[in-house]
Amino acid sequence: MKGAKVFTAVLLACGLLFIFIFPQSTQISLVKILKDRGPVWAALERFQIDVRQELETCFLALADREDLAALRRHRVGFFVLDRDARQKDYFLVPLRGPSVLDELLAVGRAVAVEPQTAVFWTTIGPPLEVLPSGLTCKPLSSRSVLPFLRAPVEITRAAPVGVSQDPIVELITAQVSEAGLRSLVQSLQDFQTRYASTANCEAAGEFIFNTFSSLGLDDVWFEPFAFAGAYQSRNVVAQKTGDTYPDDILIICGHYDSISPAATRQTLAPGADDNASGTAAVIEAARILASFPMDFTVRFIAFSAEEWGLWGSRDYAAKARNAGESIIGVINLDMIAYADAMPEDLEVIVNGPSEWLAERLVAAASVYADLAANKIVDASFVYSDHSPFWDRGYRALLAIEDNPLQNPYYHQTTDTIDTLNFEFFVASARASLALLAELAQPVREGYPRTPVGLTVAPVVYRSLFNAVKSARLTWAAQAEAAGYNVYRTNFSHLDYMKLNAAPVTATNFTDSGLRTDLPYYYVVTAVGTTGLESNFSREAEVAPDRPTLTTQVPDLNFLHMLRAR
Amino acid sequence: MKARHLVGPALVLCLAASARAQGLSLSLSSGAFYARQDVYREIYGTSFPLSVEARFELKGGFGVSAGLIRLRDNGRAVAVDGGGEDYPLRFDRLTIPLTLFLSREIKGVVLLVGAGLAYHSYREKWRTVDLVSEGKRAGPRAFAAVEWPVLGRLSVLATLVYESIGTGVESPLGGQVDLGGMQVLGGIAFRVF
Repeated sequence: MKGAKVFTAVLLACGLLFIFIFPQSTQISLVKILKDRGPVWAALERFQIDVRQELETCFLALADREDLAALRRHRVGFFVLDRDARQKDYFLVPLRGPSVLDELLAVGRAVAVEPQTAVFWTTIGPPLEVLPSGLTCKPLSSRSVLPFLRAPVEITRAAPVGVSQDPIVELITAQVSEAGLRSLVQSLQDFQTRYASTANCEAAGEFIFNTFSSLGLDDVWFEPFAFAGAYQSRNVVAQKTGDTYPDDILIICGHYDSISPAATRQTLAPGADDNASGTAAVIEAARILASFPMDFTVRFIAFSAEEWGLWGSRDYAAKARNAGESIIGVINLDMIAYADAMPEDLEVIVNGPSEWLAERLVAAASVYADLAANKIVDASFVYSDHSPFWDRGYRALLAIEDNPLQNPYYHQTTDTIDTLNFEFFVASARASLALLAELAQPVREGYPRTPVGLTVAPVVYRSLFNAVKSARLTWAAQAEAAGYNVYRTNFSHLDYMKLNAAPVTATNFTDSGLRTDLPYYYVVTAVGTTGLESNFSREAEVAPDRPTLTTQVPDLNFLHMLRAR
Repeated sequence: MKARHLVGPALVLCLAASARAQGLSLSLSSGAFYARQDVYREIYGTSFPLSVEARFELKGGFGVSAGLIRLRDNGRAVAVDGGGEDYPLRFDRLTIPLTLFLSREIKGVVLLVGAGLAYHSYREKWRTVDLVSEGKRAGPRAFAAVEWPVLGRLSVLATLVYESIGTGVESPLGGQVDLGGMQVLGGIAFRVF
């Protein structure tokens, strides 16, 4: 009898241990968190959810039971995609056809998280090796992207102000040469294959390095990285250092590796459109900008191993973030030379925070390249080298000829130079270079130098129910300046509005009565004695207050009130 | 329940009370309001409410009282990060209390205790910025009062009132705003019948 009691007690203790300790401490699930159900942004922030990917309508996150309970408590909508996410690699795959999901399910597990996006994982082998041939993919970030996410701001932009033509930018873009682009694409195609992991790909990297080196830029270097467990490759980076802001960087990039079907990719993957075109435009931009002094630093980057899952750009973006680099914007050119019909439009894909880049490219394309460009805000388009920059909180765009792709030679051995449309290609290259030049700001002879040292200190004034901010701006004195103009906008790099009626003679300015829920961006210019105005300083930002979780009591509802008490 | 839904029942109750009332007193008083929340006191300090009230006495010392309390305050926004600007504020609150009370006369002094509900309408305005917050809330209210007859139908009145006014609104200064607190009032009462 006593033995039975002891046995029962031990059994109960084990049961309790199992229920209360083991499941809670070990279970991590892959979940899809909907953006439109409940106070999502505030909940992610408050409970520090391990978000691994932002998509247009949802987040993909790793969450334990406590996280899920917290989300449920705050009525945030979510679905568990995989209950046991330990030691698994997940990949995003575009659903570019009705059969893709079936193909994925044949070799592993896959769930459609959005109409055009699936998450894929497998336990039968290395995912990259079992993925059906020809499918693009992007691994989920290896660490939380939560620190870099930004809640959308409820504000509507007024009609964009027309862009006036800048003579120096016009001069720069006019130098884009069809012959130069043709020669570069041909040279890259001549490597036969640039499939990352092949010697030819490394040779192509060497070619790009040598070409950059011949242009008279300030610095050129390789950035080696390991990928897919067993391989090495190199990003090629060239730099034109900014005269005024050497530490603030603009990037124009494209991947130089290529791919074709599995049977041929080791020996033949010409990749003229994908992506000798983007790489050639980057090199052409470097050639032209090499002779123009700029306010901001420009980096020209040819990434490798994009076709393997964005390895080169992931490595670069992660290192840049770890080093605390100030990257203002990234212009990623991937397939910009095929036109299924003329006139061809350029598609410009951005996530929400990068929208300003697309707005600026659309305007620049119209003014400097006579090219129609379409802004597409789609955080789910993550299958090119802009995406790792999004994951690290940098602003980036993808310029691409079509979305969805129309090029019938895509990822085929027939993706060759004779299929490209050079009229469209030149226009695309001009548009992207114009944007780069506008943002990097050519230094102008005879104009006051661009002000530096702009800082902004927000001060918050609070009452019981409301708060306003003031922004105290200070900057360094500029010897040749007779005064300064101060500009403000709610949209980064767009629609600057001058705040002062006459030039400010001091080197500080206070902007009062600002809303706390909106971002404010400031730039200053120096005004010379003859009235000439310098380029804009770098932007200084007053960030909006982050959303918080609140409990709203319905208006004068006694029953609710009594229950609450 | 919306605020306007309170007004009808309150009027009916007052009319019914007046029809059956054995006594009616009107009072006018003022004093000080000590807010429950530090942040309120930091911004507005101590406030000075003005109260007008009608008291209907029913049977057995029980009665119903209703009235109107007006509170207006001027304050300044709090700069958390040490700013040097001045943002003047104005806060207005209008309260309509409806309470049941019990009164007892001891040695010529009338003691009253009561509890009920009050309907509050409040408004905080930034005077130099276009920012206004308004709301309507109901909340519990309790009071204790002492009345000394001084001359004929006139009495001197001292009242202590406690109110809780949870707004359900998150304050930028932290926590949810509660406009309640303690009022210490002194005034005169006039016995109509």
